[in-house]
Amino acid sequence: MLLFAAPLEGHGYGMPHDASLDGWRIDALINETSFFVILLFVIMVAWMLWAVFRHGRNHPARFDHGSSRRSIAVVLGIAAAIFFVVDGHLFVNSVLSWRDVFGNFAWAESQPEAVRVEVNAHQWSWAVRYAGPDGKFNTPDDIVLLNEVVVPQGAPIIFQLVATDVIHAFNIPNMRAKIDVVPGMVNRLWFTPKETGEFDIACAQHCGANHYKMKAKLTVLPRADYQRWAAEASANSARAFDPDDKDGHWGWEWSEHSRI
Amino acid sequence: MDAAELKAYEELQPIHPDPASFLRRYVFSLDHKVIAKQFLWSGLIFLLVGGTLAMMIRWQWAYPGQPVPVLGSLLLKNSNGVIGPATYMTVFTMHGLIMIFFAITPILIGAFGNYCIPLMIGARDMAFPFLNLASFWTFALSLVLVICSFFGQLGAAGAGWTTYPPLSTNIGTPGNGQTFMVAAIFVTGVSSIMGGINYVTTVIRHRAPGMGYFRMPLTVWGLWLTAILNVLFVPVLGSAALLLFLDRVFGTQFFIAGAAAVKGGGDPILFQHLFWIFGHPEVYILILPAWGIVSDILSFFSRKPANWYRGSVYAMCLVTVLSAVVYGHHMFMTGMNPLLGQSFMLLTLIISVPAEVLFLNWLRTIWSGSIRTDPPMLFALGMVFVFGLGGLTGLYLGATVPDIYLHDTMFVVGHFHLTMAAASFMGSLAAIYYWFPKMFGRTMSPGLGKLHFWWSVVLITLVFTGQLIAGYAGQSRRLYDPYQYSFLQHLRPLNQYTSYAAFILLAGQFVFIYNFIHSMAAGPKASDNPWSVGTLEWFTTSPPPHHNFDRVPVVLRGPHEFADPEVRERLGRDWIGQAEVLPDAAALPATSRGA
Repeated sequence: MLLFAAPLEGHGYGMPHDASLDGWRIDALINETSFFVILLFVIMVAWMLWAVFRHGRNHPARFDHGSSRRSIAVVLGIAAAIFFVVDGHLFVNSVLSWRDVFGNFAWAESQPEAVRVEVNAHQWSWAVRYAGPDGKFNTPDDIVLLNEVVVPQGAPIIFQLVATDVIHAFNIPNMRAKIDVVPGMVNRLWFTPKETGEFDIACAQHCGANHYKMKAKLTVLPRADYQRWAAEASANSARAFDPDDKDGHWGWEWSEHSRI
Repeated sequence: MDAAELKAYEELQPIHPDPASFLRRYVFSLDHKVIAKQFLWSGLIFLLVGGTLAMMIRWQWAYPGQPVPVLGSLLLKNSNGVIGPATYMTVFTMHGLIMIFFAITPILIGAFGNYCIPLMIGARDMAFPFLNLASFWTFALSLVLVICSFFGQLGAAGAGWTTYPPLSTNIGTPGNGQTFMVAAIFVTGVSSIMGGINYVTTVIRHRAPGMGYFRMPLTVWGLWLTAILNVLFVPVLGSAALLLFLDRVFGTQFFIAGAAAVKGGGDPILFQHLFWIFGHPEVYILILPAWGIVSDILSFFSRKPANWYRGSVYAMCLVTVLSAVVYGHHMFMTGMNPLLGQSFMLLTLIISVPAEVLFLNWLRTIWSGSIRTDPPMLFALGMVFVFGLGGLTGLYLGATVPDIYLHDTMFVVGHFHLTMAAASFMGSLAAIYYWFPKMFGRTMSPGLGKLHFWWSVVLITLVFTGQLIAGYAGQSRRLYDPYQYSFLQHLRPLNQYTSYAAFILLAGQFVFIYNFIHSMAAGPKASDNPWSVGTLEWFTTSPPPHHNFDRVPVVLRGPHEFADPEVRERLGRDWIGQAEVLPDAAALPATSRGA
């Protein structure tokens, strides 16, 4: 199923290419905050340079404790203005984006074309499971993959993730998606791929000596190609199904709650 | 101040005879000034160790898997100088733990807390001199455990400075190097708590007559609030370390959970709560002393009163309180309840308000001053510069949505190095250059100090903005070889430039080492008050006698009384001491009644 030679390479010093439908919300918020941050930093540095060069040894110091009512009002006023504009912008947009998109699992689950994927992370690979045609996890028709996730373009992809040994983190920079994978609990994550192609999946949480090699590949296919791939992969997995391999049946019943 | 009250102060802090034996004088000393120097030397030596480890990490990111020049042939003989993946994780783990617990903490809190608090509040020593001695020697024991860790089976600790279980249990790091480090954290915590209790009590009980809370130098405020945080939150770290130690050594399962192969009904996230409810106050523990020191130095070297002194005090107090309730932003990615995440986001963003008040006070303090660009002032300005960059980049990480992308990237590493490492480093050096004449009775070379400043500030900025950019481009932290990933391959030149900057930064520190050691032995003799500053430590000899003050000073005004026209008229200078009586003044001017 190699449609592309290699995962997408980065260039320049900007963020990696955003191939998701909603990643722009993160990018926009980061870049808008950068505007404020750079503005404030430039003002601060200019102020310091001016003070050092113009108010040097030969400049008479002003006897001022800055504790007049007016002086305090200026300090508090500027602090409040920065707080309401810069911090407020971050807060409001984060809350809205989380409510509408990143935390809105109810909407994602309600979409008929949504694809559900279970991931079991362990040192140092990603085991991946789809329910297959019967829609039930841990049955013989489950699609089972290692270090590879294949998904359709334009559909919500919902992941539920567990870890068997230590904490890992499931990270797809090109999809602006990341979540810790913690032993003892089920975490979840969803996004919609906007573009087809191949992308790196990385572990973002230090998980031992070979943490840096704990990578997987995300392949986004056009919907028709995905349907063909899924049917074929399910048939392959069913042929390889071994009812005695208890460890191999690590899947769990899909739950809409993050903790089970 | 009546005679009876003064007598009570003298009785509370009587003059003890100088210790006679070498051991009592220099090794097991009860004198806060000697203990301060012991902490200073330990901290500086371990700063060099931690810095050397940092260079190995930088080499690895620039040239993964290639033999390390110079250090490789000394330290990595078994692997022909190459850092292997298992060694690499011990290198970054030990770098983080050593820098935080065994370099910055002893320098800023152990050394300057000990040195400055009694001298600046007019006390003859700490409230509990023996506890102070015990604090240092407990700390020394933790240093022994750190050294043991380097020689552990399977190498030193490797679970990251955050020591997250289950990786930090026997499942992920079975060697005893990790056990030694967990024990070292516990033991150094005991030392910090002993020091903290001592500092808190000393400030409450041993302030000189007239030294009201709002006449204390901001340095003392910063150190005092730090001590309060230490006393409140280091015990939480201690409990986390103890439970982890039990998991490792006695087979308990407090933090172990997972599938059949791992077993365990514990909760790995519980450790993160315990760790970060300590860990976030810890970043303020590391920066509050520097904030206080810089707030004072900016005023002293601008020859102008600190802008809105009480505002700075309130801001530091508010940061201290809020620091306890923002820690959840370290855990946004753990699957935290979104409502809890948003609450922590709001509290985190609120903490920027007192930080802005401090910044605005600093900027207004230097405005319209008469600035002296001596090395302490340069390092104080450098601290404002790097902390400005570090504080502003924290905004992104305190908000849940940008954090989805930036969490666990080099952006986080750049941010916390600018705030905790670069800013604490600048603050420490400002303090060292400033109090060196008092501590050692000699003067450091100002020329070499300025060279050291420019070398450090330019390169430290390059190193950590390089990390910010790499993180913005998507590079995860702690990767042995980032170029395994397609989307990071083009960052190799950036990482190489950043590494060169780090190597040159380290090389520049030898200017300081030379200046520090040479000046201590052969620098020109310092006068008692070389900077013309009015706080109490400058009103005793350089270095001070064993008992600090022959007579307990009676404090009449705040610490930043510069450029007062009345003082200029009567004394012919732009400053007046905190305990200095303004001659020929029946009624003191309004400005000297507190700040």
